[in-house]
Formats: sequence, structure tokens, C-alpha cells
Amino acid sequence: MAFFEEIASAVIAGDPAKSQELVRKALDGGAKPLDIVDQGLMAGMNVVGERFKRCDMFVPEVLMAAKAMNMGLDLVKPHLDSASRAGTGTVVIGTVKGDLHDIGKNLVAMLLESKGLNVVNLGVDVSAETFVNAVKQHSPQIVGMSALLTTTMLVMKDVIDALKEANLRDSVKVMIGGAPVTQDFATEIGADGYAPDAVTATDLAKGLLG
Amino acid sequence: MRSNYKVNASAQFQVLSIDQVEEIHRASLEVLERVGVEVYYDEALALLKAAGAHVKGNRARIPSSLVEKALRTAPSRVTLSTRDGKRSVRLEAHNIYFGTGSDCPFILDSYTGVRRKVTKDDVCKAATICDALPNIDFVMSLGLVSDVPSLSSDRHQFEAMLMNTVKPIVFTAHDLEGYNDIVDMAAASVGGLEELQANPTICLYTEPISPLKHAKESVTKLLRTAQMRIPVVYTPCVMAGATVPATLAGALVTGNAESLSGMVIHQLKNPGAPFIIGGVYTIMDMQSTIFSYGAPEFTLLHAAFADLSHYYRKPIFSTAGCTDSKIVDEQAAIEAALSCLVAAQSGANLIHDVGYIEYGSTGSYEMLVMSDEIIGMVKRIVRGIEVNDDTLAVDVIDRVGPGGHFLSEEHTLRHFKNQTWFPRLIDRNRYDQWAAMGATTMGERTKAKVQEILATHKPLAVPDAGLKAIEGIVSRADAKYKE
Repeated sequence: MAFFEEIASAVIAGDPAKSQELVRKALDGGAKPLDIVDQGLMAGMNVVGERFKRCDMFVPEVLMAAKAMNMGLDLVKPHLDSASRAGTGTVVIGTVKGDLHDIGKNLVAMLLESKGLNVVNLGVDVSAETFVNAVKQHSPQIVGMSALLTTTMLVMKDVIDALKEANLRDSVKVMIGGAPVTQDFATEIGADGYAPDAVTATDLAKGLLG
Repeated sequence: MRSNYKVNASAQFQVLSIDQVEEIHRASLEVLERVGVEVYYDEALALLKAAGAHVKGNRARIPSSLVEKALRTAPSRVTLSTRDGKRSVRLEAHNIYFGTGSDCPFILDSYTGVRRKVTKDDVCKAATICDALPNIDFVMSLGLVSDVPSLSSDRHQFEAMLMNTVKPIVFTAHDLEGYNDIVDMAAASVGGLEELQANPTICLYTEPISPLKHAKESVTKLLRTAQMRIPVVYTPCVMAGATVPATLAGALVTGNAESLSGMVIHQLKNPGAPFIIGGVYTIMDMQSTIFSYGAPEFTLLHAAFADLSHYYRKPIFSTAGCTDSKIVDEQAAIEAALSCLVAAQSGANLIHDVGYIEYGSTGSYEMLVMSDEIIGMVKRIVRGIEVNDDTLAVDVIDRVGPGGHFLSEEHTLRHFKNQTWFPRLIDRNRYDQWAAMGATTMGERTKAKVQEILATHKPLAVPDAGLKAIEGIVSRADAKYKE
């Protein structure tokens, strides 16, 4: 038990090397892989989320914690059976066509992974067609779109329309973000959710997965 | 006869020493040679390659000699004119000019107090207010027009400005076609393209993507401005800690490398074409993740960036008069006052974003009008203290003598107006008079001033000859995108 707490502390401290070392020890010692994730890595990440909301932690610290979490998770993953991996959910994410900005979107992808979600990152300048094909191929629960420009944010509606046309809109939840994007805009184009920053986005994704 | 006498003709201010500036310059050159930039437009890559850059895919690593050549060919001064032909904005040395920012998605409605999307009428009003304010020298749209067809909204936005101010306009365009249309509109307002090129009334605003990427839309427009010899401001927007290093020196190096590589591409296309080094330099707030428009680091970085451009002897586009506050309150006043003062002290030439609130997401007429007052105070401080026989006033001191007063001296009458700045919104009344006049706050007086300007100010109209052409360009663009 104390061992899981140490793993959680390594995540909170944003120490990837320590996190990996402890996870390796736990696996060698015969700890259940799922317990390492739930009671160690994920438990640490939950504390990080809480502290960020209370303004006790800052974004670079959250990202280092996510890195510590993800590197620990990489070691555990091969030991998880398919049943315990299935429940986590998949997110297809990308910056829409005409837009090359991807830093915010990549932060969201990283934090989603740290919450145990499987993330398919389509990159930048992603056409509606590519989004639709990715949904067909990966059967995600969530599609995430990002745009920084007031001109390219309008493309988000095209993607939603394309999903409708391909009869895929009802099979996914759509969440959007980016500097000019607002809740009003999300409502207007028929997205299921909007998040102003990466940490809120992970909460939103969890909420959308139900 | 005095010997070796040195005069500070204005208040002096510098963040970086020449040695530090040169170190940042050399680090930027090293970044361009070692890391290079990504360019997403074939013509620009071909220009770079032909000139000796190392091009692999979209990545171009740029030898220092190419940068040095661009620094030699780009002009050290760029002039912008009013629509009625006055060369009012001389971007050179330490001359300072203030103006609004562009394209906020929202406006804080001055009449209802509600934050809402921007209409074309809002941009007309913003331009009218700019036209009336004495300390605003150039105009940007303030808001992104959202009640017209979105693909031709840039033409509407420009028309809204052109019709409501004579002052020089710094504009944005969606793409090359938008840019070409806007140049035609500006040419029509001054009697032709040749006149526009001789005395430019407009300047394009466009930007690279930080860190170190030049997108296709930006570069196509950048090359076109070079070809047209109409000024452009190329503005990296860097977020220390996010898109560029967290250290302020590292942020300057990266942003400067983006600017210099933009200048190289521009000058390769047409050596000598007018180029203004732009930059919005700030931190990402590590709690909210906003791009801060009020942080002290924002102000400090812009001042250092001005030092850099003075070293280059190139015109610079800087930022001040804005806030992270969601309303025009005490925070807004503090942030605007500090940024305007420091920007002016640093001698940045074209200082934009006056009137931005909510970290650049919302425009506010009150913020604009309040900042105009702040800039008035700032200009007085920067003007410094003139020292000569007349101002030392020993003769007058002798004439009045101990125990006398200076109120009725001819010397006082002659000087008090040129020595003193007179407020228009700041209240210096005695208590009783202030109470009798309604005991107003600065915010209330500012709001009243906004409404007074909008009710009374009539900007100089565009000559009839140009009007038809301008309307035609806008309606043709609307029609084209309707199909």
C-alpha cells in the first residue's frame, strides 16, 4: 500500500525516472498491474488535478506529472489484460483544416492519455474527410477539434456536418477548444462540449464518456 | 561657450545594453543557422534556396550572411500617411505612435455593458472614436466583424475603418485575394495605386506561427506586400514558457529569429520594400494558460524588443494600452498605464492594441478613451524637461524676489501651457465642485466621453470618386463567396 503512495508521490512531484523505477519495482514484487494504475499512477494524477484547480500547481508542473504518469503507464500496459484496457475509451483529436497551431491540442492529447484514454492524434491541418475516416477506423467515443484562428474555427462546423453525412455523428461526442472558441460557439455548431484549457478538457472528456 | 555639454531631450530608458542586444542578435542568427524555420510556401522556399539557405523539405536553415543582407536592404524608416495626404506617422528612430489592435471576437457594448460579438457598426464606431482622439495616431479594427459573410468580412472590416477615419490603417486580410481587394479600396480612397505607393495610408498586419513556422497564408501575403512596396508588419506572437523558452532572453531570441527570417523572405522578393518588425511578446500565465496582455514581463519584453530594433535601425511595431481584466476597472487602468509609459519610454514606433481588454479577446471603447488620456500623461513624462537660459528663469526669479509670486509674470503666461499637460478625463476639481458635478468616477466620465464622441464627431468623408469603387469591391467579394 505504502508503495502505491510512493508511486503517486512520484507522479505528483513530476519525476518520470522515479515513477518508472517504482513501477518496475512494484511489477517485480508481484503487485497487480491494475492496482499500480488505480492506486498509484491515477491516484497521483487525481491529486494533481485537484491541486491545479485550487491554484496550488501550475501548468508546467501538471505536464511533468502527466509525463511521469505516462512513462509509468508505458511499463504497466503490457501487463494489463485486454478487459481492463477496454473500458478506458478512445479520443480522435486534431487541429482543423487551414490551421497549423497545435501546441494546445497536443497538451490536451497528453493529459487525456494521462487519464488512461487512448488518443489518436491526427496532427494539424486535418480535413473533414480525414476526421471521418479516423472515426470509421478507430471507433472513438470522442472527437476533439482545435483551432486558433477565427477564420479556421468555422471549419469545425464542416467536420460536424461531415460526421452527420456519414451517419457517424450519433456514435461520437464532439468536443472543441482553442483561443477564439466559446461555449456559445460550441452550442451554435452543435458540439457536445467546449473546454477553455487542457485540464478542463480532460474533465470534460471524462464527463462525456459518462 | 559650453563644451562637452550633453542634453537629454526626453526621458531616457533602456532595458538592454548594446552588449546584451548584440548577444541576443547573435543567438538569433545561431538559431536561424542551426535550427532554421519551417516555411509552408514553395515560392519562399525557392527564394531562400536560390539565395544560399539550406532547404530540406519545409525546413530552411538560414546563413547569417542572408540575414545581414536583409538588414542592409530593408529601409530604416517607413512613413504612413493620412487619407488626406499628411505624412503623419514617421516610423523611425524613437518616434512613438499609438493605435488600436485588430480582430477581437467580442466587444464590451458601451451602451448595454454586455459582452457580445462584433458587428460592422461596432468597427465603424471604433474608427470614429480613434479619428477623434488626439493621442491615437493609427487605426486597427478593434473587432472582428461577424454580421457579414465570413469569407468577405475582411473587406467589410476595412471599409468600416476607411469610411470613418482619415488616420493610417493597419489591417488584416483573410488571404491574398482579400489583400488585393483591400489595396484596391485604399487606392480608390486616395486617387490611385501610384499615389498609395508614394504615400501609403495602409499597412498589412500578418504573423508567423511561433515557434519558427511561416504558414502559407502569411507568406503569400508577405511576398505580395514586398512586390507592391506597400508596408507590412510581420508580428510573431510569442508565449514565454509555452511556444518559446520561459526565460525572457530566450523568448526574445526565438521571436527575433521569426522576425528576421520573415524579413529575409520579404527582402529576397523585393529588396528595399518597406518592412516593419512586429512582435507581441509575453508570458503564458501558468495557471489560466492565457496569453497575458497585462503582465509586467509583457511590458519588459516589449521594451527590450524596442532596444533590439533600435540596434537594427528598423521600424518596430509594439504593444500597450491593454489589459487582462474582463472589464474596464482598476486593473485595466493599472496595466494600461504601465504598458503605455514603458512602451513610450522605450521609443517603440507603432504601438498597437490600445483598447484591448480580456487578454485581447474583447475590445472596449472605454478602454480606448481612457488609454488616450493615459497616453497624454505619458507623452508629457517622456517629453522630459527642457533646460536653457529661458527655462532656468533666473531673471524672473530675481525680478519676483523672496516672498513674491509668479502668477502674473509674463514668463508664466508664456510657458505654463507648453510646460503642463491638461487632463480631459482625470479629475482635479476641489471636492465641492466634483460633488456638484455629479461625483463621477473615472469610468463614468470615460463612458460619457465615448458617447459624446459618437454623437458629435464627423470624420472626413472619402471623396465621391472613390466611394463607388470601394462599394463595388465589397459587393463583388460578397457575391463571389455566396456562390
